[in-house]
Amino acid sequence: MPDDTEPSPRERRSPADCTAPLWPCGMTGAAACLAGVPDLAVVIHGSSGCFFYPQSLLPVPLFSTLIHEREVIFGSLDRLAAVIASLPSTYRRVAVVTTCVPAIVGEEIREVLGEDTLLLDSPGFAGQMETGYGRALEALCPETSADAGGVNIAGLNLLDPFNRGNLQEAARLLSRAGIPVATRIPEDPLGKIGSCGPFTVSVNPDLPAGAGDDCGDLLGLGAVGRTFLRLGDRLPGIDTGPVLGEVSGAEERVQRAADKYLRRFDPPRAAVFGGLSYALFAAETLRRYLDAEILVVGSRNGTRPSPLPVKEMGRIGGIAEVLNRERPDLVVGSSFERSAWPGAAFVGLTPPIRGRVLLRSRALAGIEGTLSFMEEVLNACMDRKRTSTARP
Amino acid sequence: MSSNPLPWSTSRLEGCTLTGALSVTAEVTDGVTVVHGPAGCVQHNASLIHATLLDRDTPHLLRILSSDLDEAGVIFGGEGALASCLGEALAGDPSAVFVLSTCIVQAIGDDVGAVCRREWGVPVIPVPTSGFLGGGFQDGMAGALVALGDLAGGEGGSGGGDRGGGITLVGEKNLEHDVEENFAEVTRLLALLGERPGLRFVRGSRAAALAGLSRGRLNILREPDLGPVGEAFAARFGTPYLDSFPVGLSGSLRFLGEVAGVLGLDPSDALEEERGRQVDALADFGDLRGERIALSPPPGSGAAPFAAEVAASLGLRIADGGTPLPCPSPPPVGTAGVVRLLHRWRRAIRA
Repeated sequence: MPDDTEPSPRERRSPADCTAPLWPCGMTGAAACLAGVPDLAVVIHGSSGCFFYPQSLLPVPLFSTLIHEREVIFGSLDRLAAVIASLPSTYRRVAVVTTCVPAIVGEEIREVLGEDTLLLDSPGFAGQMETGYGRALEALCPETSADAGGVNIAGLNLLDPFNRGNLQEAARLLSRAGIPVATRIPEDPLGKIGSCGPFTVSVNPDLPAGAGDDCGDLLGLGAVGRTFLRLGDRLPGIDTGPVLGEVSGAEERVQRAADKYLRRFDPPRAAVFGGLSYALFAAETLRRYLDAEILVVGSRNGTRPSPLPVKEMGRIGGIAEVLNRERPDLVVGSSFERSAWPGAAFVGLTPPIRGRVLLRSRALAGIEGTLSFMEEVLNACMDRKRTSTARP
Repeated sequence: MSSNPLPWSTSRLEGCTLTGALSVTAEVTDGVTVVHGPAGCVQHNASLIHATLLDRDTPHLLRILSSDLDEAGVIFGGEGALASCLGEALAGDPSAVFVLSTCIVQAIGDDVGAVCRREWGVPVIPVPTSGFLGGGFQDGMAGALVALGDLAGGEGGSGGGDRGGGITLVGEKNLEHDVEENFAEVTRLLALLGERPGLRFVRGSRAAALAGLSRGRLNILREPDLGPVGEAFAARFGTPYLDSFPVGLSGSLRFLGEVAGVLGLDPSDALEEERGRQVDALADFGDLRGERIALSPPPGSGAAPFAAEVAASLGLRIADGGTPLPCPSPPPVGTAGVVRLLHRWRRAIRA
């Protein structure tokens, strides 16, 4: 490489760092957050190339200015105004999310927007999915209201393959304790987002809650128990007994199934990849019930102190290197990891999960989430054993 | 899920050049593609292409790198980041590197071409993309095909049947679900003439193999929209081209005649065999005769003349209130493609 291309220390990166990133950009995160609000029209101010990706992933209508280069040169505000004017009247408010080029062109976008239109500057280069999601949630201004009872459910994300299942499971558990659901953040109408309940539980702590006193998350049986004990302290009159009893019963069932597995097979050597909270939940669950050897926990979005080997790994090059080096017999992650190490047992945890049909609501949070996850792990591991030992 | 209900919106739905260009460059098996721009652009496209590969049970990881342009790069310029990324691309010892640019890079004025022109030791080929500022999917694909023609080296000869090379398929749609089935059908038809496809430009090809483009006797374009690519290669290498894979029943027969004409072959036996095959195939769908159908888009709109021909061949009646049947776009390839379509039509009629 010629001398004048020698990268500066700031630019110098390890050899694997340039490979394909696996986590969506800030614009996608912002769109995912805002699109959960049913009476909010989300307009992506950019080209169809940017629009198609979130539209293909999110199960709700999105809108876009679908700009051409002529609008970049001669101005896009007329186009933006026309698109907003043509939106269905069923939406109460509008949110505009800028993509990379409109974000730097310098137009006074606010001039063509109504006073109550949300304007979100969340271009792709400004960060990853969580950054955009966080900015969008701030723009929605979730607030608690003294009149709102119940408990909010936070950490919801339309990009999450477990979103629908997590929401259903969280609501089910609250209901078992006699607790009404206050606001589903951010998947409730704007009015409810503006009047959230005083307490919040999360199905994914990687995402901000935005409102309410944090009472904990629902990832794992232990977390469910602790969270409902906290709710019991804060909400006199609720009955956490059914939930705690269900936790206890689920713990026994998982232990029994895991013991049966371990009587025949060695613990799996596992590599886990995904958003930090989900990945840690998966790794801790594997270690707890199967005494699994956790080779790596590859986080897409940051790290935190943990007895587990957690590293930030958001690029396929680094992930492929680790998989080839560690040679796990169980991979928990996305279709990318599955392709990088196809011989292992695989459990989908992280989007994209492709190559299989996903129709039902599947939870990762709550009691059903842990049962579902362990069921998938045990079946995947046993299927792999059967395949590898099948008689000709 | 509808969006953007404004008029004149159709041309705005053509996607981004990146996806089209990546669908070509990612198929060079010993090459690496560098996308100069924010990480999200690579993530979007890599995810889409990977999903398509998984749907076809051909999972492999794409060799795509991102220069990872961040806010500082947008403000102060990203050429250093691109150069750094190229260095890392070359550490993997590729035979060639293809550099695609995103819209934000075009907007801030990074000189991607200048960075590519430095002495890297292997071909580092800039592909004209610029995100959506360079057009849509088709523009990206065409631009990539022409840019990869640089790997073909010197100019060709007089074209036609006296060249040493084979028949090159140009511009196969690597993201379409039935790309291999379409290739199989073209292969079958060429075999009737005693010929077979040579180079697939570009699908699953090594960089060195792409040099065969300059020696081909005939280029067959995937579809007429690639006409400018065909013209570019004809001008550069003297290779004649057909503007499309075979479409429809008469189109498949015409394809045989045109290939034979360029290569100086007698198509009579091939045409007789294919006509017989088509008659037998249509006979299997005789139970559909007389059924009332409605084609979408309607014939006469110019969108699907092959569908009207197939319907007429089977005695299907196009009428208001008939069973709505889709006309797929792109249209099915060859006689086999028509047969697969007829199975889907019959399922819809019987539903």
